[in-house]
Amino acid sequence: MKLVIFNGSPRYKKSNSALLIHQFLEGYNFFNIDKVPVYYLTSNTQREASADLFHKAETVLIVFPLYTDCMPGIVKEFFERIVQHSTESVTEKIGYIVQSGFPESIHASFLEKYLKKLAQRLNCEYLGTVIKGGVEGIQIMPPVMTNKLFNQFEKLGESFALYGTFESKIVAELRKPYTYSRTYSRMFNLLSKTGLTNFYWNSNLKKNGAYNKRFDRPYQKR
Amino acid sequence: MLTKNIANLTNICTFEPYFTKTMKITILDGNMNGGSNDYSLFMDNLIPLLRKENTVEVFPLHAMDLKYCNGCWSCWWKTPGECAQKDDAEQIFRAYMHSDFVLFASPLIAGFTSSALKKITDRLILLLHPYIQMDVGESHHHKRYDHYPDFGLLLQQEADTDEQDIAIINDIYDRLSLNFHTHRRFTRFVENTHLEELAYETCHI
Repeated sequence: MKLVIFNGSPRYKKSNSALLIHQFLEGYNFFNIDKVPVYYLTSNTQREASADLFHKAETVLIVFPLYTDCMPGIVKEFFERIVQHSTESVTEKIGYIVQSGFPESIHASFLEKYLKKLAQRLNCEYLGTVIKGGVEGIQIMPPVMTNKLFNQFEKLGESFALYGTFESKIVAELRKPYTYSRTYSRMFNLLSKTGLTNFYWNSNLKKNGAYNKRFDRPYQKR
Repeated sequence: MLTKNIANLTNICTFEPYFTKTMKITILDGNMNGGSNDYSLFMDNLIPLLRKENTVEVFPLHAMDLKYCNGCWSCWWKTPGECAQKDDAEQIFRAYMHSDFVLFASPLIAGFTSSALKKITDRLILLLHPYIQMDVGESHHHKRYDHYPDFGLLLQQEADTDEQDIAIINDIYDRLSLNFHTHRRFTRFVENTHLEELAYETCHI
C-alpha cells in the first residue's frame, strides 16, 4: 500500500494534527519500511501541487482540525481541487482523521457524512473517519495526560499498516464521549461560575496582558 | 391618542406592503467564478430587489483580500475580539454584527458551499468568546455580543447534487447556527426559487 498523508491544519508543522500524524506513523512504520510522505496544505507550493499528489497516491489519509463543526476553508479548497480532476485519479482508498478542541465527537459527526459522500464522489473506497475531540492543549500537557492518546494513535497506525483500515475498537474509543450527560453539563456550568473551567483561557489572556480586555466588543459600534 | 388609534387602524385595514420594514442585510457571496452565469444573474436581480427597501451590503468574497484563519487564537487571548491578520475581513465582521439578517450565498462545489465562503466563516470565530458553556451535553463558546443575526442559505446546485447532499449541508449549517447562538431560517436554490418570493422571505424573518 502506497500511503500519502495530507495535513490540513492551518497551524502547519506546529499543529496538533501534526502531532497525531507523528504518533500514527510511529505505529505505521513499525510494520512498513516505505517512507510515508506528509504534505501540508498550508504550504503554498504543496497546496498548488496537492491535487496531483493526491491523485497519484494509492491510499490517502487527510488529517485536519474541526473549524465551526466543519472542515477548515483551506481543506475545502483542497477538496475542490481533487474533485475537479478526479477522472485522472489512481487513488483507490481514502480515510480521514478529524480532531477538535471540544471533547464531544458530536461536533464532527455531521461532517463525517460529508466526508463519506466525498469519497463516493471521488470513486474511492471509504476507509472511515477517526474523530478525536479534546485535543487542544496536548502539546503542553505532561506525558501522563497524553500517553493514552498517543498510544491509541500508535496502535491505530500499526493496525492500519497491517490491515489497511482503521481498527474499529480504537476508533470507537477515540470517539468517546459523543455527548456528556445532563448531570455532567449542569456540573460543568456550575463549576464555570467559579472560574475554574476558564483557567486555560484566563492564564493565556493574562500571559498576553489581555485579561482586562477579554470582554471587548470591537464591532459593537459602527 | 385619537390620531394614534386611527394610524393603528389604518395599518390593520390596509394591505401589508411588499417590504414591511427596513432591514440591514449582509450578503456573503461565495461565488468563485467572476463571470456571468445563472448564479450571478440570479444575484444581479436579487440584490436590487432587496435594496428597494433595505440596506444591503454585498461582499464578493472572491474579489476581496481574505486570508485563511491560521488558528493562532490571537482573537481570543491577545487582542480579544480582533483578528491578527489585517485584510478585508474587518469590513465583513463589522457588517455582520450590524445586520438583521445574513445571506450565505454560494454555488455548491464538491458537495458543499465554496471555500471562499468557508474561509470567511472560519474567521467569524472572533465574534464568540473563548469561555465555554455546556448545552444539552455539548460544549459551546459563550457569546461575545448580545445578539447575532439569523441567516439563510442561497445555493446553486451541482449536476450531481441530491437530497442527501442538501441534508448534509443543512445539518452542518445548523451546527453553525448552534455555535453562533442563532438560526438558519431557510435554504433556497437559484434553480427553483422565485426572486420575489426569496426577497419577501428574506425581509420577513
